[in-house]
Amino acid sequence: MREAFSLMARRGVFGLAAIGTVGALALAACSSGSSTPTPPPSGFNKATTSVVNPSTHKGGTITFDNSSAPDSTDAGNTYYAFNLNFTRLYATPLTTYQSCPGKCGAGVVPALATSLGTATDGNKTWTFHIKPNVKFEDGTTVTSQDVKYAVERTFDRSVLPNGPSYFATLLAGNAAKYPGPYKDRSKNLMGLTAITTPNATTVVFHLNQPFADFNYVVAFPQTAPVPPNKDTGANYQNHPLSTGPYKFASYQLNKQYVLVPNPQWNPSWDPQVKQLASKIIVNLNVNANDIDNRLMAGDIQVDQAGSGVQAAARAKILSNPSLKANSDDPVNGFMWFYYINSKVPPLNNVHCRMAVEFAANKTNLQTAYGGPYGGSIASTAMPPTVLGYKSFDLYHALSKPGGDIAAAKQQLSLCGHPNGFTTNIAYRSDRPREVASSQALQASLSAAGIKTTLKGYTAANYFGTFAGVPNYVHSHDLGLLAGGWGPDWPDAYGWGWALFDGKAIVPAGNANIGELNDPQVNKWFQEMEAASSQAQRNAISEQIDMQVMKDAVLLPAVYAKALLYRGTGLTNVNVNNYYGMYNYGILGVNQK
Amino acid sequence: MTAPLEVSTEAAAPESVLTGVGAKAIEGRSLGQIAWMRLRRDKVAMAGGVVVILLVIVAIIGPFFVQNPNIYHANLINSTFSRPNGPFGGISVAHPLGVEPLTGRDMLARIVIGARYSLLIGFLATALAVVLGVLAGVIAGYFGGWVDSVIARSMDIFLAFPLLVFAIALVGVIPGSAFGLSGNTLRVFLLVFIIGFFAWPYMGRIIRGQTLSLRVREFVDAARSIGGRGPYILFRELLPNLIGPILVYATLLIPTNILFEAALDYLGVGLIPPTPSWGQMLSNAVSQGFFAVDPMYMIIPGLAIFITILAFNLFGDGLRDALDPKSR
Amino acid sequence: MGTFIVRRLIATVFLLIIVSMVTFAIFFWLPKLGGQTTYGLATQYVGRNPTREAVLQVEQQLGLNRPLYLQYWHYLSAIVVGEHYNAGPVTAYCPPPCFGYSFKSQQPVWPQMVSDIPVTLSLAIGASILWLIGGISIGVLSALKRGTIFDRFSMGVALAGVSLPIFFTGLIALELFSYRWPIFPNVTYVPFTQNPYLWAKNLVLPWVCLAFLYAALYARLTRAGMLETMSEDYIRTARAKGLQERTVIVKHGLRAALTPIITIFGMDLGLLLGGAILTEVTFSLHGLGLFTIEAVQNQDFPEIMGVVMLASFFIIIANLFVDILYAYVDPRVRH
Repeated sequence: MREAFSLMARRGVFGLAAIGTVGALALAACSSGSSTPTPPPSGFNKATTSVVNPSTHKGGTITFDNSSAPDSTDAGNTYYAFNLNFTRLYATPLTTYQSCPGKCGAGVVPALATSLGTATDGNKTWTFHIKPNVKFEDGTTVTSQDVKYAVERTFDRSVLPNGPSYFATLLAGNAAKYPGPYKDRSKNLMGLTAITTPNATTVVFHLNQPFADFNYVVAFPQTAPVPPNKDTGANYQNHPLSTGPYKFASYQLNKQYVLVPNPQWNPSWDPQVKQLASKIIVNLNVNANDIDNRLMAGDIQVDQAGSGVQAAARAKILSNPSLKANSDDPVNGFMWFYYINSKVPPLNNVHCRMAVEFAANKTNLQTAYGGPYGGSIASTAMPPTVLGYKSFDLYHALSKPGGDIAAAKQQLSLCGHPNGFTTNIAYRSDRPREVASSQALQASLSAAGIKTTLKGYTAANYFGTFAGVPNYVHSHDLGLLAGGWGPDWPDAYGWGWALFDGKAIVPAGNANIGELNDPQVNKWFQEMEAASSQAQRNAISEQIDMQVMKDAVLLPAVYAKALLYRGTGLTNVNVNNYYGMYNYGILGVNQK
Repeated sequence: MTAPLEVSTEAAAPESVLTGVGAKAIEGRSLGQIAWMRLRRDKVAMAGGVVVILLVIVAIIGPFFVQNPNIYHANLINSTFSRPNGPFGGISVAHPLGVEPLTGRDMLARIVIGARYSLLIGFLATALAVVLGVLAGVIAGYFGGWVDSVIARSMDIFLAFPLLVFAIALVGVIPGSAFGLSGNTLRVFLLVFIIGFFAWPYMGRIIRGQTLSLRVREFVDAARSIGGRGPYILFRELLPNLIGPILVYATLLIPTNILFEAALDYLGVGLIPPTPSWGQMLSNAVSQGFFAVDPMYMIIPGLAIFITILAFNLFGDGLRDALDPKSR
Repeated sequence: MGTFIVRRLIATVFLLIIVSMVTFAIFFWLPKLGGQTTYGLATQYVGRNPTREAVLQVEQQLGLNRPLYLQYWHYLSAIVVGEHYNAGPVTAYCPPPCFGYSFKSQQPVWPQMVSDIPVTLSLAIGASILWLIGGISIGVLSALKRGTIFDRFSMGVALAGVSLPIFFTGLIALELFSYRWPIFPNVTYVPFTQNPYLWAKNLVLPWVCLAFLYAALYARLTRAGMLETMSEDYIRTARAKGLQERTVIVKHGLRAALTPIITIFGMDLGLLLGGAILTEVTFSLHGLGLFTIEAVQNQDFPEIMGVVMLASFFIIIANLFVDILYAYVDPRVRH
């Protein structure tokens, strides 16, 4: 409502009013030429297999921009993939992933620990020795008690809610009831009985089940030591005490934090990280398109989220050979897919689920997730980065990426719905890729007679209130649900337990949205953790993958790839195979 | 709503402003024919009116003549770059306005059907706002006293809300099916309700001001003196004199509500995909960076919104000028 | 006059309480009607695959399992007396006005909002100065040169300004002047105290786009108002008295035409201060508007409540200020 009283407003000439349109047309006429300086090309995808610009040059400032923010800068309170990578700059866990190009980058090596854990008692007891003389940034020596305390504090979810739950589920003793050190009222404040510290450099974990993968579990930054007398709980994120090459210089919640070199640090404490740049700035909540433009203009060096550039930058990079030579498109270990719920009729019949698998147009799905550089068409329930991965194609995803309607129709008659059926597709309405892919899925399924209605939900409460609540899924007939997943560690357990094990189904926040409860699969997961050799575990992984696909509770869309651009002047650029993005622990910059 | 769209809200000016000026503006139905003559002479306003009518026609029957807006044409897209093949967004004989990046869906069809929804929601929301606003304004203005106070304060309350936040929140909170409706129908109703319900104070304030000034005029006294009472005076004397401003401000409210709907689409709480909507196309163009790869995807819906808003504004302005005895 | 102000101030508090009630109802109560459980709600604020105990602990910490009216009462009282918050080894105290602790980051909401206010303030005030000066002068000139090319052109541009959504003009401005021809690269907010030149430079694009929108309006309003007042008898008298044309225009014509515009300006500014959401989203300026969007997307209720209350406060205060101004000018209004 504008004019409130009678006015005499003359209107001018209509045509002259279209200033905005003129500007826009100027845009359309121009080609997408870039005015950024072209860096010397070193080869497309070179950083996935080697270290680009290796250098030991010290100095300069590395600027990271992030389109959102870490869930927390407190290493004990974080789960985001990029943050597991980044926190190693100031928090040293017991083990970490190797900084080495290629597949070896997905292997765990000791960090704070002197060697990988020693497993006894059938993989139920794990002993770690920590390096002596490791110090916090204030000069105090790190003891095994600090490691124990770091794990203990993560048990108080009211203060530190974000991190993984493996310690809570795996540790024996009083772990199930332990309320965390802030609320611990037990006698002598023993803390977690399952973690013992026989001396200042030894930590022993007692598990309630055999767990061969425990070295991966302690790679989470939850084991990075925290001194009990300096712990400030929810406020520790403002300045976590560093045991890594960098320490906090400043922190503004949701806006920016700055790291400077930690003078106490000694490279022997964690050989996987380096102390090269003299300043690291992280800007948070920056517009995603801005990030890409700044990256290519050389104003910043890294996109901290590491999930790839937006469509506009992708087009620019891929169509300009010198820009392309300065980028990498690694498989980043994530997968995008659709859960096929096995309880919502008629998808409770496996043949109806198989019909969906056959009918989906994988090419259109791939386009929705960013085209060939956004992901490669997937045909298995585990991505290639998982140990034990073997490619197979039960539903012709690779041989007939446009969808196999004939086979779908065959499955439909087997499940008693020869003319198709109706169901709903749930997706996150504030994730543009899922908005696009769900529409693509809807369109391709309709060709087989499967009529779907799209139901969008906000990402924030997708898992807590809707897709992740089995009751809601059943009562609202959500047969197909969009999802994405990254592995907690690169083997089938770290990838798939939460997705496919029947025990993982929970009433809210569920990730096994297909509601698979196949006793054979459940057994295999257990056997994996009791198995003593990697070869055995790989064999089991293959079986799990194959069975999950036979059960058709997952419609794989793509193995995600991320088109990353190497910032100007960055040294030691290498894609780590586990994190699926540049290894933030080793970066330096060619500046003074 | 004008408010959240960072467009001025002088309609929410204090009553005294409106009282003072409004009283001079409208004379009554006897002016109708004069107004129509003057409107006809105003070429620019008539042009606006014609465009409005054309838009309405396109919105009503257009969807029957365009192709299916939801069909994917993967062959028309370069999926590496997520853009249509061919210049200007893939314009061709088969697709006169090109195709969408990423999906290859026909732009013309999506624009036409988007027009239907935009206009529908704009009109309905305005209708709701007008009905509520006129009722409230007339009652408050005529009866005065505590009735006036209550209504005026409730208008204040509505004006105090940051509307966009509430719209986003409400849409996010209402489940997929409620009140017997579901899907897009429910969403349309919800949008109409939100936009209209938050827009009525603007109308209400104006009408209240007009009523306040009309109430003290002689013809009302005359009507009272011959025995007319409240409802008679309201409906037979006051309302006809208010038709003028109601019409004018309704016409000016429509573009605002269309913009509001586009803004809601832009922020992700508009219509449910795959239903086409102008605001959503603009939003995709922005958030996924298509504007740099395929500018037409941004320009075409932007132009559509622009032309619609402009036409309504031109016509509304002309209408107001025609009804104002002091112009020219 | 005094009682008028006091009455309105009391009404302001009352209004704010109502706004808080409605906000609370929408965000806490409606989802419950839609079938959301507090357990499900709590899982949003925990990491992936939480244990049941974890979720229950979070539920407890965020007070989600208390009855709604208690949560509401607790929220209101915190604003007045502050709140003690379990931050782990210590109990944090958040002094009044305390708008609670963010569900996501466990940090107090009020300091976050306060740090965002300068951005919105800079944006709103800078743009408002531009549009006042630009809009009014163009309006005056158009009124004086009524019917000329200048008049038609400026009113045409004005019409375009009110017909283009800000997220469209903003986007085009960014694409042209920030990405393609980097005249204004890197549009982020730089605090004035840190670097005044950069502060102004980075705000030029958002200022211009926002001002374009409003200037268009104000130009039309001014023009119309001027045309009306200039045709009044007292203007003729002033001219007949032999006053200089400039005095006539500015002192007599413009002043009368401006009074309603100033009141409208007060309200527009109040609304903008509540967060120019669309502008801030388009230019990614971290003011209250962007804070609002992020809070809604994260379902971070204390932040949502806080920013809604703050925005309403600005709107109500602006209304109040305008009404007081008007009551001062026009004694009839103080009924």
